[in-house]
Amino acid sequence: MRALFITLVAFAAAACGGGPGKPDGGSDAGDRPPCVQGVATTHLELINACTDALKIEKNPTLPLRLPDGGLPPLP
Amino acid sequence: MRTLVALAAAAALLSPTPARAVDCTSLPNPLYLQIGDTQEPVIKALGKALRDSAANPMTLIYVTSGSCTNIEALYTGVKITTNPFYIPSAAEDPAWTPAAASPSCVIDPAGHAVELANSALFVSACNPSPQPLDVAQFRGPVQAYVMAVPKASSQVAITAGEAYFVFGFGAQGQVGPWDDESQLFIRTTTKSTLLAWAAAIRVPAAKWKGVRLDKSSQVLSSVASSVAPEKAIGILGAEIYDGNRATLTSLAFQAYGQSYAYYPDSTATSFDKQNVRDGHYVPWSPTVWLTKVDAGGVPTNSRAGYVINLLLGRSAVPAPDFKPLDIVISKGLVPDCAMKVDRPYEGGDLVRYQPAVPCGCYYESKTGGPFSSSCLSCVDDTPCGSGRCRAGFCEAR
Repeated sequence: MRALFITLVAFAAAACGGGPGKPDGGSDAGDRPPCVQGVATTHLELINACTDALKIEKNPTLPLRLPDGGLPPLP
Repeated sequence: MRTLVALAAAAALLSPTPARAVDCTSLPNPLYLQIGDTQEPVIKALGKALRDSAANPMTLIYVTSGSCTNIEALYTGVKITTNPFYIPSAAEDPAWTPAAASPSCVIDPAGHAVELANSALFVSACNPSPQPLDVAQFRGPVQAYVMAVPKASSQVAITAGEAYFVFGFGAQGQVGPWDDESQLFIRTTTKSTLLAWAAAIRVPAAKWKGVRLDKSSQVLSSVASSVAPEKAIGILGAEIYDGNRATLTSLAFQAYGQSYAYYPDSTATSFDKQNVRDGHYVPWSPTVWLTKVDAGGVPTNSRAGYVINLLLGRSAVPAPDFKPLDIVISKGLVPDCAMKVDRPYEGGDLVRYQPAVPCGCYYESKTGGPFSSSCLSCVDDTPCGSGRCRAGFCEAR
């Protein structure tokens, strides 16, 4: 089942600190790391930096995803 | 008999007459451009200001094509041979605005050289070979790319992993609701919109599943009028999407390695491009403007050089009697001076970026988005601490 939550993040002060998530677009519900607080420098830190922008949590079902969470080669 | 003649004369006066064909060579101070169709809104708006300018009037004459085609046209000297569009003057068509279709003019039978070409993504994504020595690339404002769905769709976001299966596998990807390949509206392989998205989701352009369309307008109409709105999805430049928000909805996008999905803007309804500027929205590319240059790197066509300066927010001589930066911002583009991140190539990792002459506060003052607390109004550097007063706001330097 696809869970979709729209969360208006209050401000960076809320639940910040930590690193980026899994190296794929579909993290499982509940295992999202907190946003990156402070000065982000790497790509993963920048895209996961704390922000006051609207963020959307999506947990898609991807039947063809590999058991290790990776993506199979394209046909 | 006299009555018949009078009636015939009246009928002739009342019947619609075909519009007079305008010869392109008759247009004053022409500049011939070949641009991506995602860049047509900004060129129309800039062209209108230039056509009516007292400072340096010129006529922008343009055709639209794929970014990769545009690059090759300038590199190899492929001329414009189809009748191009042009920007009419206020005297010629007082009612014309950039929201209207541009009129076309009759091209010289021998064609005309492209004087200013546009790629709406990194040139290396089309042609990795070194550019000819007599051509220079000028990096212009940034454009985001969006995935859009019909207004009737309930979808609000897509992850990179979903998009990989939707567009890389089609129906076999089993990712609902986008599992009908006849409802995936994409572009052909020379188009920046497809190439930018290809880099973002790691599905090579040639491998995409869906209906390949030549024009952004076709994607727009196909998505908007889909008979299966929940299954329909299309790819567009944000400049096109922003001008058509009444008919489509853009999806928030979650990049690989990202924990949440974000819109290009801070919300679905704002126009501030906050997430493009700070790196939360990953699918974006610089617009690149290419022209012939001399040995010193100076554009050989002075009008091309002037337009490049306007698009890049550089000083131009003579100074324009309008604000080119405002035009760029109003069309959904982010000037380089307002960006906080950069990337080295199409789809490349983001890095922090500090423009040499920042304009972030000015940008925010024009887009109605969240206004940074550090953006103090100023008339000189006094209230700016270690920063500088630029365009009425304290900027970081």
